[in-house]
Amino acid sequence: MKLFEYLNNEICAETKGVYAPYYYRYLGYKQDIAAEPSTFRANGIYALFTETKPVIMKNEIIVGNKKPLFADVDKITLEYAEKIVQRFGERTFISNKDHYAPNYDHILTVGLPSLIDEIDNSLEIHGNDTRKCETLLAMKHTLCGFSQMIKNHVLAAQECKKDPAYNKERLDGIIKNCEAITEGKPQTFAQALQLVWFCHSAFLMEGRYAMALGRLDQYLYPFYQADIEKGITTDEQVVELLENVFIKLQDDIVNICIGGQNKNRECEINPLSYCILKAVGNCNVPGPNLSLRLTENTPDDFLDECLKTIGTGLGYPALMNDAVNIAALKKYGYAEEDIYNYSMVGCIENFITGMQPPWSDGRFDTPRYFDYIFNNGISETNGSIGLDTGDVENIGSMQEFMTVFEKQLIFGAAEYYATFNKDNSFINQAYYPEPFLSCFCYDCIGRGLDINNGGSKYPSVHGAAVMGIGTTADSLAAIEKVVFTDKRATLSDIKNALNCNFEGYEELHKELLAAPKYGNNDDFVDKYAVWFIDYLGALFENYKTRDGGGIYIAAAANTSNIYAGRSIGATPDGRKRGEPLSDAASPSYGKDVKGPTSTINSLSKPDYTKVACGSVVNQKYSPTMFNDQNRPKLQALIRTYFKKGGQEIQINATSREVLEKAMEEPEKYKNLVVRVSGFSAFYVTLDKSVQLDILNRTQKG
Amino acid sequence: MLLNISNIQHFSTGDGEGIRTTVFFKGCNLRCPWCHNPENLSAAPSVMRYKAIDKTETLGKKVEIEDILPELLEDKDFFLQSGGGVTLSGGEVMLQADDVAVLVKKLNEYGISVLIDTAGCVPYKEFEKLNSLIQGYLFDFKTGNAQNYKEIGGDLETVMQNLTRLISDGANVQVRIPLIPDFNTDEGSILEICERLKAIGIGEVELLPFHRLGSAKYEALGLDYQYKNYELLSEDKLDEIIKQYSKYFKVIIER
Repeated sequence: MKLFEYLNNEICAETKGVYAPYYYRYLGYKQDIAAEPSTFRANGIYALFTETKPVIMKNEIIVGNKKPLFADVDKITLEYAEKIVQRFGERTFISNKDHYAPNYDHILTVGLPSLIDEIDNSLEIHGNDTRKCETLLAMKHTLCGFSQMIKNHVLAAQECKKDPAYNKERLDGIIKNCEAITEGKPQTFAQALQLVWFCHSAFLMEGRYAMALGRLDQYLYPFYQADIEKGITTDEQVVELLENVFIKLQDDIVNICIGGQNKNRECEINPLSYCILKAVGNCNVPGPNLSLRLTENTPDDFLDECLKTIGTGLGYPALMNDAVNIAALKKYGYAEEDIYNYSMVGCIENFITGMQPPWSDGRFDTPRYFDYIFNNGISETNGSIGLDTGDVENIGSMQEFMTVFEKQLIFGAAEYYATFNKDNSFINQAYYPEPFLSCFCYDCIGRGLDINNGGSKYPSVHGAAVMGIGTTADSLAAIEKVVFTDKRATLSDIKNALNCNFEGYEELHKELLAAPKYGNNDDFVDKYAVWFIDYLGALFENYKTRDGGGIYIAAAANTSNIYAGRSIGATPDGRKRGEPLSDAASPSYGKDVKGPTSTINSLSKPDYTKVACGSVVNQKYSPTMFNDQNRPKLQALIRTYFKKGGQEIQINATSREVLEKAMEEPEKYKNLVVRVSGFSAFYVTLDKSVQLDILNRTQKG
Repeated sequence: MLLNISNIQHFSTGDGEGIRTTVFFKGCNLRCPWCHNPENLSAAPSVMRYKAIDKTETLGKKVEIEDILPELLEDKDFFLQSGGGVTLSGGEVMLQADDVAVLVKKLNEYGISVLIDTAGCVPYKEFEKLNSLIQGYLFDFKTGNAQNYKEIGGDLETVMQNLTRLISDGANVQVRIPLIPDFNTDEGSILEICERLKAIGIGEVELLPFHRLGSAKYEALGLDYQYKNYELLSEDKLDEIIKQYSKYFKVIIER
């Protein structure tokens, strides 16, 4: 077993006590319960960092974890502490507080003590501005607490030396690293990684979620390079250090960005990128959400290594088209050097690293507007009302249908924005500061302002995830084909069929299903996918966040397409009531039947430079696509997609589990295609012994 | 000028270099009982009923070149990126050599290279219609035994002569050998194949291990599949076969 595997056992072992993050923060709050907001918040964070007792695990070489948040506290104290903390304001997901990529570059370059000095300097400059001084002092207080937390780890490690179960040499290393980073700049790769990991752990202790590590292979590279040149570390040791960190990322979404390019279009893949890829692959846990900023100049060899990792069943890294993302971000007026330093947060969201307030996405359920159009503005399935655009029978042409549909979307976007804006503004930014986070955002220290109150270089943004591009495009194409081209039914017939969930309308249902579907390189339907991105992108461009930032669109869903589908009636593409919507930017499930190149030809048509938040295309291939003969073909497929303007592709190898499930429930896997030696077949049509042949060739995912 | 085809498959990965689009031609002059494309044996349309997915389709249509050309051009960007192109397979493509030549010329005009997958049991004049137009042949060689060739409807001498002439005419030929249990995978059969091919100067062979993925098609066609209950070749057996071939040739195999 490797070191991280032993560590994993320790991580998974039960921790004594109850999970009590609120309790520690409360200890700080109650010191001065009526303090001014920044001071108050800083007191809570200071207590959280200093009152918790570090836990050093036997197999850690990079220390810091969430175990100290467990406390032996009685129920009444715990509940009361939680009540107070929550009453004093917890900004929530909907108020755009999550998802952040800290400016790790800076703290690594100057070191923790100098970062504190920067605050002192700023205090001198802003000395006559009481609010700014309070804000800066709050930041400083949290950094001092943070420094103390690291020092407490030194003490804890010294304590562990008395325990023969610990490796003394390893503890000495930990002590040395921790001391070094509290005293000055990190001197080695291990120290730099340790400092970053302490920061990340501190954010987790604060209760933050979806904190990204940003461009790990870029900001750690100088340390890696120096160590290698001095001959004090090897790639194996670097991988081991990284594993020691990545294995801890199991119950969170932590985006790690590798690759990319600088302003001069030079590819930034370096030897550390390879180490990171290797460590993520070795750990094989879902937490490290690895993203590759893929450029034309990314070496084929590196992409090949990525495909090998993907083919193990891990599915990562997700592949991002750097050129498209950069073009999309350029529309928002960011400085060029900041754009080229972007990274991903959460799943795929494009973030101006360490320079904008945290933000997150909301869901815009586009296919819901068919419910309203067909039912005078009332959705029974959804229990909601939209716009009454009149009786659907009165619509006489496809063009007219589009006009009416657009009216629905304009109303919907306004409603979305109003709801978002209310939530986002509900908690007054000035009263809910984030002093610790502000220390990791340019230019909060210089300006003496909190990250949520004008400190960041750029304003906050938001992502409206426009759902159901496949469902919507397919529905519009079905209406055009069946009603206006072939004249096989009227809109009134479709209305009745939809409201009966197609029961009693089996023939019409078949015709709707037979209409062209997105993902088969057929312009008849693909033009609606192009329209979808153009129209919704432009629609949301009309709106701004509270501090003047853009409302991006995203074509991403995670699993939200399933939940959204549950509350949306039957749609004209033939999808039944409650069934999932099409996923993310992908075609409707199983409707792209002409093979991967056709799918990609369709997917290349929308203009993703209008999707600044990011998009997701999930594609599954048989494990044989990842063998030595086929990986170059897969690579060519991806390269072509990106040359044609695709934005993102996340590839999965069909797992053994999926094949097993398909044997149990064939009706759910009618479209599962398996390929062996270039020969493909629908899996569920094969007889059992043949299915077993394939299953036995497929590794566990 | 009509082509009798059954299907166009995008992103074929087993039919030559790079990403390919494969056109399957209807009608074959051989009857190999292990065939994985039984829908292409008959030149007449074939009705396929898949019970498991409640789907019925009729495969086989006579098409003008203009009807299929747009679809064959769709993936040109992928061909360029990967070094791929169009593969014509079947069935036996060479039975429609005259019309195929027109198609290939047309594809060449668009800068697309073409491979032909053939079992080679046709008069050499058919090849002559195509030699100068195509990038190469994927030439299936089934057995080195004349009697066995006869059993599947072929003729060893024709195959050998065609192969020999193709080589001397400078055609690019990739010999492919299906590895079929109880037919050509015993030591003696392999030796026979190796010696025959070596004698005419073949230096590289691609081995195609038997698989049963075509079994569902037999059921859908209402046909009996003689190889339904045959086991796959074990990894050990495959190693052994590869070892034997490697004594004579550079071996390509996807495992």
